[in-house]
Amino acid sequence: MESLANLGDGFLTVLTPINLLWVLIGAVLGTAVGVLPGLGSAMAVALLLPVTFSLDPIGAFIMFAGVLFGGLFGDSISGILMNTPGNSTAIASTIEGHKMALSGRAAQALATSAIGAFTGGIISSVLVVFFAPRLAELATLFGPAEYLALALFAFVAISAVVTESVLRGLAALGIGLSISVVGIDGISGASRFTAGIPELFDGIDIVVITVGLLALGEVFSVAAKRGSRDESKVLPSTGRLWLTRRDLRLAAPAWLRGTAIGVPFGIIPVGGAEVPTFLAYGTERRLAARRKDAMFGRGAIQGVAGPEAAGNATAGTAMGALLALGLPTSATAAILLAAFRQYGLQPGPLLFDRAPDLVWALLASFFVGMVVLLILNLPFAPLWAKLLKVPRHYLYAGISVFAMLGVYATSSKVLDLVLVTVVGLIGFLMRRYGLPVAPMLIAIILGPLAETEFRRAMAVSEGDPGILVSSPISITLYVVLVLAVVGAGIQKTRTRRVSRTARERERV
Amino acid sequence: MSGVVRTISVTRRAVVTADGFWRRRTALVVPALMLLLAVGLVVGIVTMDVPANTAPPGPQVFPSIVAAGLFVLAALLAVDVVRRPEPAAVDIVESAEPGDLDDDPDGTTELRTTSNHRALLGALGTVVVFIAALTPLGWLLSGAVLFWGIARSLGSRRPVFDVFLSLAVSSIVQLAFSAGLGLNLPPGVLGGIL
Repeated sequence: MESLANLGDGFLTVLTPINLLWVLIGAVLGTAVGVLPGLGSAMAVALLLPVTFSLDPIGAFIMFAGVLFGGLFGDSISGILMNTPGNSTAIASTIEGHKMALSGRAAQALATSAIGAFTGGIISSVLVVFFAPRLAELATLFGPAEYLALALFAFVAISAVVTESVLRGLAALGIGLSISVVGIDGISGASRFTAGIPELFDGIDIVVITVGLLALGEVFSVAAKRGSRDESKVLPSTGRLWLTRRDLRLAAPAWLRGTAIGVPFGIIPVGGAEVPTFLAYGTERRLAARRKDAMFGRGAIQGVAGPEAAGNATAGTAMGALLALGLPTSATAAILLAAFRQYGLQPGPLLFDRAPDLVWALLASFFVGMVVLLILNLPFAPLWAKLLKVPRHYLYAGISVFAMLGVYATSSKVLDLVLVTVVGLIGFLMRRYGLPVAPMLIAIILGPLAETEFRRAMAVSEGDPGILVSSPISITLYVVLVLAVVGAGIQKTRTRRVSRTARERERV
Repeated sequence: MSGVVRTISVTRRAVVTADGFWRRRTALVVPALMLLLAVGLVVGIVTMDVPANTAPPGPQVFPSIVAAGLFVLAALLAVDVVRRPEPAAVDIVESAEPGDLDDDPDGTTELRTTSNHRALLGALGTVVVFIAALTPLGWLLSGAVLFWGIARSLGSRRPVFDVFLSLAVSSIVQLAFSAGLGLNLPPGVLGGIL
């Protein structure tokens, strides 16, 4: 019950006019970037990071929470109306959502997705409120070897299990790790890979990396794709907004199932909500196949409800894992971790003791933000779709201006602008040749942690590597990791075989 | 680049290009980049000044592991690219007389992505000019150049209107963030006037 009292205090902090304004601004910005294809909440937070320096941390984080969930609310709008998902987390709900829109049920699809996002978000936030402090207590049992195991788990899970090509995932991870070692070594004081340039002694700023990879990389890749066939039409949002009783009977269990699938994925570092949204979609499809009147393939409401709830449930528990363990399980969480560090805060078990007012205000802002987002999205979804009419070239020109402004404002160093351009080009190459961006971000965020904990553990044991696998926690983590890799390998060969037989059947 | 807006019908067709080995394997840039990073790490590790009383494992161990990993992954990735090249057919957008038929209206042929190099170089060039001009010209002018250039490379057809739009965007940013939030933006040549 202590959690409830703390949460009450949090609500008192959030429900002031100025903090409510930050929630609203965050929610509006988040939905806007969510709606626009190719832009996600990770990039929005990265661009906002330098701009929010003059805010107090509570205001800034409340706004970031709005952006985070807003992105997940907005990304399905363009998916449903245009068949171009605003973000990779909306691909699963786009499949049936766009079919619903094509058959004149766009308004119901949008409502289903908004309510689904709300359900998943609220339920996972409740779970975070009650279990995050417990999780934080558990985390105090972690020593250097356990943290190293956790970081390695994140590295391998994100690059090998989640991405399509293990090789490309690991390549992105390696590129990230090599950037993460630049700067003065914190333990020995040796200057590493700086070529004697004093601006590099502090390492390459995380804002430079994220803005370069996510914003400038996207601008370059849009430029390179100019004139190719990816134009799409916006369908009008027709149909009554309110769901019929029959719709509700189909959607309500799917919302709950989606939430149940999404919740555990927030704590496992697999790089975000792509996996749970597809799992939820697959579950709904398989369940519907048993019914006679299944609508799958023609616009099934469950196909929108499940994935949408799963996506937001994952985002909610991912915030819990970030706050309690200091472990970023997705790209957005990784950037939020950087945001905490900018304010001199280190997420993890101690955060609940050191900055309880911030933590509980942030958790309370999830609930407020979710309600604001439901109001913003349920009736106004067609209005948001109008954003897609802003000419692309002006949109990306504006993003470039903000990207450069953000980078220069953090450091006032021209060298950072050069670095952000180079990272932007790397980001373009990665998009062009199918390398995932998430492993690189995780490598840059957790690389220094992995190295420090490795060296600490080895120093404690005086060079005996046995210490790395000496505790039950680290052994469990490594075993789960091996199981996950083997499981993913089996799953991949199986899908490959299925798709090959399907192709052969088509040919016959 | 004439100012006249042309009304042309555009056809898209899947074209199989005859020359092929390198064109279908431009992805080799990625292993090349990884190789470069790995070599950079090795040079850095060899030339590093390590303080005398450093407890093992020292500052060179972790970068060595990363460098070794990069060498192996670059080699594996290069082999993968050579063995499984991108599709030979490319998506070509060309102006055509009305009446020409679209070869591939459904887009069913598996296509290789091609990059619009002129647009990409335009965007990159704009960013380089912006960085070079930032300190001497100041935020207001160089920010406007950035907006104008990116919009132009991404296909804006209204260069004159864009001049005013980009100056407006850049001034709003200057007002909101420099005057409003107190960020430090370089004034440049307009420093005395503003």
